[in-house]
Amino acid sequence: MASMGDTGREEAASRRVPAPVVGEGRPCALTASVKRREAWAFLGHRGQPVDDRLAARLEGAAALCERELAPRGIFRVFPVRPGVGGVVVAGTSLVLPGESIARHLRGCEYAALMAVTLGPSSEMVLRREAAVSATGGMLADACASSLVEQAAGVLNEFVDEAAAQRGCAPTWRFSPGYGDLPLSVQGSFLEALDAGRTLGMTLTAANMLVPSKSITAIVGFRDPARRGE
Amino acid sequence: MGLTREVRVESDLLRRALAREDFLLFDGGMGTLVQQAGLAKVHENPDVLNLTHPDEIAAIQHQYVEAGAQCITTNTFGSNRLKLAGTGATVAEVYAAAAEVARTAGAPLVAGDIGPTGSLLAPLGSLSFDDAYDIFAEQARAAEVAGCDLIVVETMTDLLEAKAAVLAAVEQTALPVFATMSFGEDGRTFLGTTPAIAASTLSALGAAAVGLNCSLGPDELTPLAAEAAPFARGLLMAQPNAGLPRVEDGSTVFDVGPEDFARAMAPILDAGATVVGGCCGTTPAHIAALARLLRDRRPGAPTYRPAFTVTSAQEMTSLPAGAAQVAVIGERINPTGKKKLRAAIQAGDFDYLVGEAVAQVRAGADILDVNVGVPGIDEPAVLARAVRTLQATCPAPLQLDSADPAAIDAAARGYAGRAMVNSVNGKAANLAAVLPVVARYGCTVVGLTLDEDGIPSTAEGRLAIARRIVAAAEEHGIPREDVAIDCLVMAAATNQDEVREILRAVTLCKQELGVRTVLGVSNVSFGLPARPLVNSVFLAAAFGAGLDMPILNPLSARYADTVNAFRVLNGQDGGAVRFLENYAHAADPYDGPAAAASEGAPAPGPTGSATAAEECPVPVTDAFAEDAEAVRSMVSYVLQGRDAPMAAATADLLGRHDGIAIINDVFVPVLDEVGRRYDSGAFFLPQLMAAAEAVKAGFDVIRAQMAEGVAGEGACVSAMPGGSAATGSAAPDADRAIIVATVEGDIHDIGKNIVKMLLENYGFSVIDLGRDVAPEAVLAAVRETGARLVGLSALMTTTVGAMERTIALVHEACPEVRLMVGGAVVTAEFAASIGADFYAKDAAESARIATAFFG
Repeated sequence: MASMGDTGREEAASRRVPAPVVGEGRPCALTASVKRREAWAFLGHRGQPVDDRLAARLEGAAALCERELAPRGIFRVFPVRPGVGGVVVAGTSLVLPGESIARHLRGCEYAALMAVTLGPSSEMVLRREAAVSATGGMLADACASSLVEQAAGVLNEFVDEAAAQRGCAPTWRFSPGYGDLPLSVQGSFLEALDAGRTLGMTLTAANMLVPSKSITAIVGFRDPARRGE
Repeated sequence: MGLTREVRVESDLLRRALAREDFLLFDGGMGTLVQQAGLAKVHENPDVLNLTHPDEIAAIQHQYVEAGAQCITTNTFGSNRLKLAGTGATVAEVYAAAAEVARTAGAPLVAGDIGPTGSLLAPLGSLSFDDAYDIFAEQARAAEVAGCDLIVVETMTDLLEAKAAVLAAVEQTALPVFATMSFGEDGRTFLGTTPAIAASTLSALGAAAVGLNCSLGPDELTPLAAEAAPFARGLLMAQPNAGLPRVEDGSTVFDVGPEDFARAMAPILDAGATVVGGCCGTTPAHIAALARLLRDRRPGAPTYRPAFTVTSAQEMTSLPAGAAQVAVIGERINPTGKKKLRAAIQAGDFDYLVGEAVAQVRAGADILDVNVGVPGIDEPAVLARAVRTLQATCPAPLQLDSADPAAIDAAARGYAGRAMVNSVNGKAANLAAVLPVVARYGCTVVGLTLDEDGIPSTAEGRLAIARRIVAAAEEHGIPREDVAIDCLVMAAATNQDEVREILRAVTLCKQELGVRTVLGVSNVSFGLPARPLVNSVFLAAAFGAGLDMPILNPLSARYADTVNAFRVLNGQDGGAVRFLENYAHAADPYDGPAAAASEGAPAPGPTGSATAAEECPVPVTDAFAEDAEAVRSMVSYVLQGRDAPMAAATADLLGRHDGIAIINDVFVPVLDEVGRRYDSGAFFLPQLMAAAEAVKAGFDVIRAQMAEGVAGEGACVSAMPGGSAATGSAAPDADRAIIVATVEGDIHDIGKNIVKMLLENYGFSVIDLGRDVAPEAVLAAVRETGARLVGLSALMTTTVGAMERTIALVHEACPEVRLMVGGAVVTAEFAASIGADFYAKDAAESARIATAFFG
C-alpha cells in the first residue's frame, strides 16, 4: 500500500551536524554506530543459530537507533588530588570516595570527567518500540546500549588525545557504580560538566541517570614520571 | 488565554516594548562575572548570593545597566524549591532579595527569572506535570510579590516543562510572561522541539514574548529565530551565547567578542526579534555594543503569520491561512465499533493505542484523533493517561476527541504541545463550557455546525452556525485562525440532496469566515455498497470544495491514493517528489489481473511454510489429526517467531476447532517446547520473546472470537490476555491476575516487560504498573484488583531497598498475597533475606512460578 506523504509535519534529523570537533568543555555530537556483535551479546547470544528473520529484525533495530538517536557528549579535565573523604576534583564540588577510584587515579595529577548520552528523546523512541512489540523493544534497547557504549568509546579517543597533549598516559574509563565508587557522586558529577544544560542529563532520586542510555566516566591522566607513586 | 488576560504593566518602557514600538534590551551572562568576582563558591546554589553577597551581585548587574540594558534578570535561575533544598533559603526570600538587588543596581525593569527544575517530567522522567506547575507557581508568585515587572522563563529544553512554567506564571500572576527555549546545532531542543513549535505553543498559552536563548552563538541562532518568527503571536526574543564554549587553561571561554556579537545580532533583528540580550559568555561590553546597534533601528512589522497550527513536542502540522494544503487526521483511536480497542481501553492496555498510533503515522497521518469514550470509565482520567502515553511514544500531534469538557481539560493540561479539540458546537451551553478550556491551553478547536435545533439541511444554515462559533471563539480570546469548522457529513443513502449542500458549506465557510475545515469522510457511504469507492470519490470532491483536514482511516489504500494524488494537484507535493517515490513503479489496480491483490490484505495461507513438517517437535493430538499439516505449520511459525501467519493460521483452525482445544493441544505444548529450548540454551532471549509474541497473536484471535460469543454488549471487557481465554469467560479473571512492577527509584523496565510478555502468553492476566513504582502504589493495586501474586523487578543495587520495603508493606497489609522478585542484582539468597516468597532467576522461571502458584 502506498503511504501518504507527511507534508506539513516537520522532518526529524533533516539538519544533522556534519563532522564533530570534540574540544574540551564543548558539548558535541558523536559519530558512532551500533556494534552488532555487542548488541547480540547484550541480548544473551552465545552462538545459538539465528534465522534470517531474527537477524533482519536486529539489523532493523540497529538501523533505527542509528537513524533516530543522536549520541552527544562532553568532557572536561580537572586537577585531582587525594583529600579527606576521597579524591578531590579541584574546581568542582565533586569528591570521589572509596578505595577503587583512589587506586584507579593513583599517580594522576589530572583526570577527565566525561558524559555521553543518547539524549532525552531516546527514552521516547525506546518506549515506542517496546509498546509496539516487546521483542522489538528489547532489540532496540540492546542496540541503544551498544550505541551509547560506542559513542563513549569515540569520546574517549578525544580524551586520550587531551591526555597525550599533556604528556600523560590515560587510564581506562571508570564509572560511578564500579567497585566501591557510589552512585551518589552522580549529582556533583553532572554539575561539574553542566550536563543538565549541555546534554539534557538528569538524575532520579536513586541517582540513576535519565536518559537511561547515558554514561558518566572518569579517565585519569597519569604522569609517566610519577609511575608507581 | 493570552488575549483576554488582564496584564499589569506599570512601566511606560515595558508598555512600549509590548506594543512593539521599541526594542527591549536585556542583560547578558552572569556566570563569568560571578567567577571573576571570586564568588564561584561551588558548594552553594549561586542564587543564595543574593542573600549573602547582595552588593557584589548588584555591582555586576549595575555594569549591565551602565552598558544600556533596560531589563535586568534576577539572579534566580535555580531558585526553585528543589534546588534550594538544603540551602536554608526559601523561594520567597531569594526572589525578594534578588529583585531588591536588581533595583539597587539601577535596573529600569526587573525580570523575575525562572529556569528549569532540573528534573525530567513524567512520563519520561519522574516529576509530574502538576508538581512542576506547583514549583513554578511558587516562583512566579514570589517574583510578583518581590515587585518584578515581568517574568522570564528561560533555557527550557522540555516543551512540557516550559508549558508548566508559562501556564503557572500566566495563571498565578498579572505580569507579562516571556519565555525562551534552548536549541542545539540540529535546530531542536534535547527533546526534539523546534523553534517554530516552541513559539506557536508558548505564545498560544499567553506568553507575551517567545524565543531562544543560550547554547549557540548569534550566527547559529539566526536561522532558528527566523523559523520561530512566523509562529510568535507576540514578541520574538533572542539571547544567544557569545559563541560556543571551550576550555582554556581550565576555564570556560567563549569566542565571539562584543563587536562581532553585535554585528551578528543584526540579522536576528531583521528576522523580527525585538527583545534581545545575551546569555553565557556575554559581558557588559557585548550588551553595550548591542545597545549601539539598537540605537539606529526601529522594530519592523510584526512577523506573525496566521495559521491553523497543531503541535506535539516534536512535530507540528500547520496550515497557513489562504495556502492550499491539506492534512490528514487519523481516526482509528476511537472505540466506536472496535471491540479490541474498547477492551484495551477498559483494561488500561495503552500499548495497544500506541500500536494504532504508530501504524497510522507510518501510513501518513498528520494528526491523530484520540477518543476513549467507553461507557462506565472515568473519561477525564483515562483520556489524560492515554494522551500522556501517546505523547511519550509517538510524536504526531493529537486531537482530543470528547464530549466531556472535563476530559478535554484534563488531557489538554498535561499535553506537551497545542492540542486540537474535537469538538465544540453551536449550542450556547456547549460553547460556554468548551471554549474556556480551548483558550486556557492555547488549543485549536473543531466547531460542529449543529445547535439546539439540530443540523441545518442547507449550506447557509450550516454557515450561520459556523459564524456564531467563530464569534464566540473570538470573544474567548481564540483567534479565528485557530478554529476549524466541521460541516457534518450525512449519508448519501438517506440524505442524497444534502451531500452537495455539505460541499457548498465547506466552500462558504472558507470564503466567508476564513477558517480551516474538517470532515469525517466515511459517513457519506453509510448504507451503500462499495463504501471505500464512494468515500474516496467524496474525499476528492470535498478537497475540490476546499476541505483542509479529512478525518479518515489512513490505513486505507484508497484514501491514501486520493490524498497523494490531490497533493500533486494542489501543489503541496512540490515537484510531485513524494508521488513519484510512491507511484512511479506501482501497478494500476484497474489494470490487469493483479488488481484484486493490490487492494486486499495479503493472504498468508496457513500452509505457507511448513518446512519443519518432518521434524515437528510437538506431537499432533488425535483431535487435530485432520489438521496435522496446519498444526505443524503453526509450530514452525512459533519457533520462528512469525506472528502474522500465526494469526491467520489460528483463524483458519478456529473454523473447525474449539478455541480451548487449540490452546491446550497446540499453544501450550509449543510454549513448553520454546521454554525447553531456552532452558537448554538452544534459544536465546529474543527467540523466546519472538516465539511468545507469535503465540500471543494466536491467543488474540481466539480471545476475540470468544468475546464475540458472549451475549450482550459491554460483557466483552477483557483485554487481559489469557485468563479469560483459559476459562472460556470474557470477564477479567482476578483469580489468575498478576501485578508486575519495577520498584521505586528504578527506571530500567526491560526485564519487567519480558516477564509481562511471557506471563501473558502462559495465560495470565498481567497488570503492569510500569517503572519507578512506589510501595504504596503496589499495595493500592493489590487492593484494587484482588491479584494474589505480585512480581517485582530491580536492576540496580541502589533500589533493592525499595524492593524490600514493598514486600514488607504488602505482606503486612495483605498477608495472603505472594511476591516473586527478580532482576540483575537479585539472587536467591537476597530474595530470601528480604522476605520474598519466590525468586525468579529469569522470565521463564517467573512463568513456571506462576503456573505452579495458580495450579
